[in-house]
Amino acid sequence: MKNVLMLAIKTINNVIKCLMISMPLLFLNVMAVGAEEKIEVFPQAPYDRFIIYQALIIFWIGIIGLIVILKMKLKELERIQDMGIDREEKDIPFLD
Amino acid sequence: MSCQRLKNWFNERYDFEGLRSFSRHKLVPVHKYGILYYTGGLTLFLFALQFITGMVLAFYYVPFYEQAHKSIIEIVTKLNMGWFFRSVHHWGAQLAIGVLFVHVFGTLLVKAYRKPREIIWITGFILLAISIFFGLSGYFLLWDERAFAAVRVATGGAGNLPVIGGFIKSFLRGGIDVTGETLVRFYAFHVCVLPLFTIFLIGLHVLLVQYHGMSVPVSVEKDIKKHEPFFPNVLYKDFIIWLIALVVVVTISVLFPPEIGKKADPLAAPPENIKPEWYFLFLFQTLKLFPGDIMGLNGEMIAIILISIAILFFLLIPFFDRKSARGEKSPVFTWIGIFYTAYFVIMTVIGFLT
Repeated sequence: MKNVLMLAIKTINNVIKCLMISMPLLFLNVMAVGAEEKIEVFPQAPYDRFIIYQALIIFWIGIIGLIVILKMKLKELERIQDMGIDREEKDIPFLD
Repeated sequence: MSCQRLKNWFNERYDFEGLRSFSRHKLVPVHKYGILYYTGGLTLFLFALQFITGMVLAFYYVPFYEQAHKSIIEIVTKLNMGWFFRSVHHWGAQLAIGVLFVHVFGTLLVKAYRKPREIIWITGFILLAISIFFGLSGYFLLWDERAFAAVRVATGGAGNLPVIGGFIKSFLRGGIDVTGETLVRFYAFHVCVLPLFTIFLIGLHVLLVQYHGMSVPVSVEKDIKKHEPFFPNVLYKDFIIWLIALVVVVTISVLFPPEIGKKADPLAAPPENIKPEWYFLFLFQTLKLFPGDIMGLNGEMIAIILISIAILFFLLIPFFDRKSARGEKSPVFTWIGIFYTAYFVIMTVIGFLT
């Protein structure tokens, strides 16, 4: 009886020891799972980031350039329209 | 084949001269509310952007509940520029719906819906509803826990409608609850059903706008002194606005790529403090105003009925506003328009901040 009791105490002791060792591991594991949940939605390598930001700046310059060209074209059109030389005259003779 | 020969080839077969003459003679009135004319074109541009980025994403997305979430992670992390296309699709959708709301409320406030443009208003309203459903179905394709809970709430809310609610709910969900069946169904809506309706309705909407010409607000109708040709003046201005919108979408997409949440678990409890997408916040806040029980009746059901009546009234405004139809000023409907706009804005801001 005494032996059985001793064995039971020993087993419980072992279980507690195992739990004490495994709990921090389990906790660390949970933390690792939590860290895994954060999915990188943007390239992380510094070189990739540099290329992306560089491309964004070039894109901005390109778009600004296009807007400037369109603005200039629009201004020129309005100038011609204000002068009235864009209108087609009736009964205009054909040159050919 | 030289360019001139190509032109001749087409001209012999199609009446391009008529089209050219139409575009040359199409005039746009110049007045203080003229900026509103550009919101329609901008929405169209953003829709086109959504179609392009959506097509690219559809090549790699797997609409099956076990792979959906993983396929998005792969698009973002493994595909070349995948993160960019997903980000542009996400932010383009937000901006498209935002501009669409501005377009709708602008049309409401300047009463551009009045006779003879009632059908333009109705097609625009249906397009707004379709766009919101586009947003909801696209959000669900992420198959993350927030999207899952949002769709469960949204389809559950639709189920509170009397008589047809149960049918709508089970039709949208493809069953009793939100499951993998719902994902397949929403995918079909998002990439097939809704785009088809959208293309048809946009075509009709634009065609009717060309047929009726640009609407002029009653208050400035007598002061219009100047018109400018649509082609090329207004078209060039449209291009400038589209380029600005493009640069805004691209910049936001690069600087703030949208996050991907935890994979949805149909058996798990919904996450805390869940909020719908911003364009549902006004509905969400309205539902919060109602208690759970009103004189023994389901409070949510009463709220849904009242919201439905308000939306139906909004749709039928052109038929109620008789004064505007006669070309007279109608201050009552101006105030109704202001009320709708203010309610939407205030409730969205409150929903966002709380």
